[in-house]
Amino acid sequence: MEKRELPFLAVLAMPVLAVTLAFFLLPLVRLTVIAGSGVDGLSAYTAVITTPRYLESLFATTVLSAAVTVVTLAISAVAGVFLERNRFAGRNVLISLLTFPLAFPGVVIGFMVIMLAGRQGLIGEITKFLTGDKLVFAYSMAGLFVGYVYFSIPRVILTIMAAAEKLEPAREEAARSLGASPWRVTRDVILPALKPAFIASGAIAFATAMGAFGTAFTLATNIDVLPMVIYTEFTLRANIAMAAALSIVLGIITWLVLNVARSLAGSTVAAAG
Amino acid sequence: MKSGTLKVVLMAIGMLVLATVAGRASAADAICYNCPPQWADWASQLKEIKKNLGLDIPHDNKNSGQTLSQLLAEKDNPVADVAYYGVSFGIAAKNEGVVEAYKPANWDDIPDGLKDPDGNWFTIHSGALGLFVNVEALDGAPVPTSWQDLLKPEYKGMVGYLDPSSAFVGYAGAVAINRALGGTLDDFTPAINYFKELAKNDPIVPKQTSYARVLSGEIPILFDYDFNAYRGKYKDKANVEFVIPQEGTVVVPYVMSLVKNSPHPDLGKKILDFIMSDTGQAVWANAFLRPVRASAMSAEAQSKFLPASEYARATPVDYGRMAEVQKGFGERYLNEVR
Amino acid sequence: MRRTYRFYAQLGFTLLVCSFLILPVIMSVMAGVTENFFKGISSGVTLRWVVEVWDLYADTIFLSLVIAIACLACTIVLGIPAAYVLSKRQGRVARMIEELLTLPLAIPGLAIALALIITYGGFRDFRSSWVFILVGHVLYTLPFMMRSVLAVLSTADFRSLEEGAASVGAGFWRRFFDIVIPNCRAGIVAGALMVVTLSVGEFNITWMMHTPATKTLPVGLADSYASMRLEIGSAYTVVFLIMIIPLLVALQLYGQPKKKQAENFDDLEHLESRTAKSAHMRSKS
Repeated sequence: MEKRELPFLAVLAMPVLAVTLAFFLLPLVRLTVIAGSGVDGLSAYTAVITTPRYLESLFATTVLSAAVTVVTLAISAVAGVFLERNRFAGRNVLISLLTFPLAFPGVVIGFMVIMLAGRQGLIGEITKFLTGDKLVFAYSMAGLFVGYVYFSIPRVILTIMAAAEKLEPAREEAARSLGASPWRVTRDVILPALKPAFIASGAIAFATAMGAFGTAFTLATNIDVLPMVIYTEFTLRANIAMAAALSIVLGIITWLVLNVARSLAGSTVAAAG
Repeated sequence: MKSGTLKVVLMAIGMLVLATVAGRASAADAICYNCPPQWADWASQLKEIKKNLGLDIPHDNKNSGQTLSQLLAEKDNPVADVAYYGVSFGIAAKNEGVVEAYKPANWDDIPDGLKDPDGNWFTIHSGALGLFVNVEALDGAPVPTSWQDLLKPEYKGMVGYLDPSSAFVGYAGAVAINRALGGTLDDFTPAINYFKELAKNDPIVPKQTSYARVLSGEIPILFDYDFNAYRGKYKDKANVEFVIPQEGTVVVPYVMSLVKNSPHPDLGKKILDFIMSDTGQAVWANAFLRPVRASAMSAEAQSKFLPASEYARATPVDYGRMAEVQKGFGERYLNEVR
Repeated sequence: MRRTYRFYAQLGFTLLVCSFLILPVIMSVMAGVTENFFKGISSGVTLRWVVEVWDLYADTIFLSLVIAIACLACTIVLGIPAAYVLSKRQGRVARMIEELLTLPLAIPGLAIALALIITYGGFRDFRSSWVFILVGHVLYTLPFMMRSVLAVLSTADFRSLEEGAASVGAGFWRRFFDIVIPNCRAGIVAGALMVVTLSVGEFNITWMMHTPATKTLPVGLADSYASMRLEIGSAYTVVFLIMIIPLLVALQLYGQPKKKQAENFDDLEHLESRTAKSAHMRSKS
């Protein structure tokens, strides 16, 4: 039966493959070529390591994305499992509120960070009231961090809740009946069972954070994240070759991380969301 | 509901919306790069163009650097008809060959130093760079009067300046500070040192116009042009001041060009002619810019500027040289000022 | 039900996270309807900023809607067949194709936009039309539709359903249109909501690809925050929220695919009778 279906399947796959080839593969190949044919030639690719400014930016972006991923996973794990397990009045409202920022463009999130932590921000007013000194961190790495966590939580929490739904209560019952404390049950039964979800959603969060542009564009911090550097290269006399090279490097790194994550999670079919 | 019906319904909705939008979306008659509604009151200028020429030109919020980059990226098939940017970018655009020579109406009224001999770019108005200050947001600190003042701890976290490597106003600020502190266009060390010092005072460095942020108090002190400050003061009635620093500053022209191989060159020429006409120039005067044709400046508009004694400290520079060294300075700034 | 200390601690934590996410939104909405943000709510509540936003940016709102709907249509036509093919074939080629199709998620939006501009920027009509932006959106949202449908197609329920259909003699296309598509409806709906939501909010790719005549809502939003009064940017956000909230609510309600067994078998019976009828008719002629 499988062999007979092959031509039909091929027909079904044709449109999507054509579109991907024409609008994705081909442009990416051109991008790679352009990156290597600028003023610096192929050394544009190694420039990311040899130029201190780019290397610092790459380092900062990676560390930031990693930190954001870890914190988001921790927050989402606690809130997600809690919401999945318990039923109480207003639960659905809370879930909606948590997935709400999914649609927000980075620019809006940047301005919300300014509203929270900018010079005229809420946190500034509160800290001034409490301590007499305004705390302003919107324009530092901390502000960027907060913004990134803001848009990562909705993405991650949905996946974790879906995975939490599939947890078998029987195993936890067994552990509890053997005398394990709630913390031991969490650490040894729940968390390991959620590991694939953590890895899958964590990888997506990391990839999104690495490539995020809108939030950094608005917040104008001192240390530029790599997408901002790429943008600067493009606007600094249209240094397209360098912008292209940096984009490819960023893409490769992100893709590598996703691949490692996928092999760790052990599944080739990713769940929805 | 079967999937087939679902698809049909979706298509129908799509068609309906498409039909509604089709009329609206094709409303653009010509494209101007860097015609932001609130900067230099382009909103009024575009309205006048619509009224007098019947042309619909959408707003565009690029800055000068982005404008040049887009022109270069689209070299083979430009999207824009006309471009507006700071003078050094105009000169660069001519060198890169993305603009066309055109001498608009009233060409002879433009002083020689403010136009390209062939018409590849020409000044339409100019402004003076200084400090755009939101007095109330200073939390009681005195209004600063010099560049050096901003290094003082009482202004920590209050100073903002646009990115000198990407926005023209940012670069102009750097040139102004450099000259004020004793440097020349061949040696930007004083400016670099200044920005390094300023970095210790927690400045905010946006990449695009931040007029709104000054008014909201988010950026109490911004390196910006007099016309933006006057707009805040007289049009939006905010408690803002414009300060011409004691050490001196620069006057900078903003220029326009006709894009080479543009989609609508005739419309582009008409637009440029209009901007150089009495009506067009008057719009700039009302927006507190100095129109390049001095005759368009009314006494009433003039009275809203700071007195001439203050403006004596705002002088021009060699714009050609400014254009030549821009890239080098941009690199230096990005590498040294962190 | 006993509420333990742990329950309340976790509830408190969750509420804290929620307020972290929602508070700025409320502040933004308030700024959008306040007369003067600097003076605060005491200066009065007004809708004039929202009206001004409508005057200035109505076409960006329409364009975003058009692109989102078109994007949905494209991802349905491209993504459902793709998901089906991937669910049927397990070999290396299939996995490579899946990899390729989800690659746009790993490549930063800026890079995709740059690549498209470099390759197709020369075709002026294409470059200046909204279809150019649509391409970027489709590339970015396709994996979500695909994954959503694939998740449903990979369930054991579904496989047995298909096998059932095949065993009564239904051909490939009959099976695809009458069994596969109706039964992954939940996956399609979940994917559809995701696609529309992401398309309306997409910024990274659109920012690079847009021209002044093809501004979408997020691009207009960025513009307004940069150069207009804060109240206008916030009012624009209010309009954006009004558009997006129904979508998000729907996503929340329909996002979890829970199929009813009965519906599956209804489809199967229906198919059985139709196959039998056509077989009967064929034998007659």
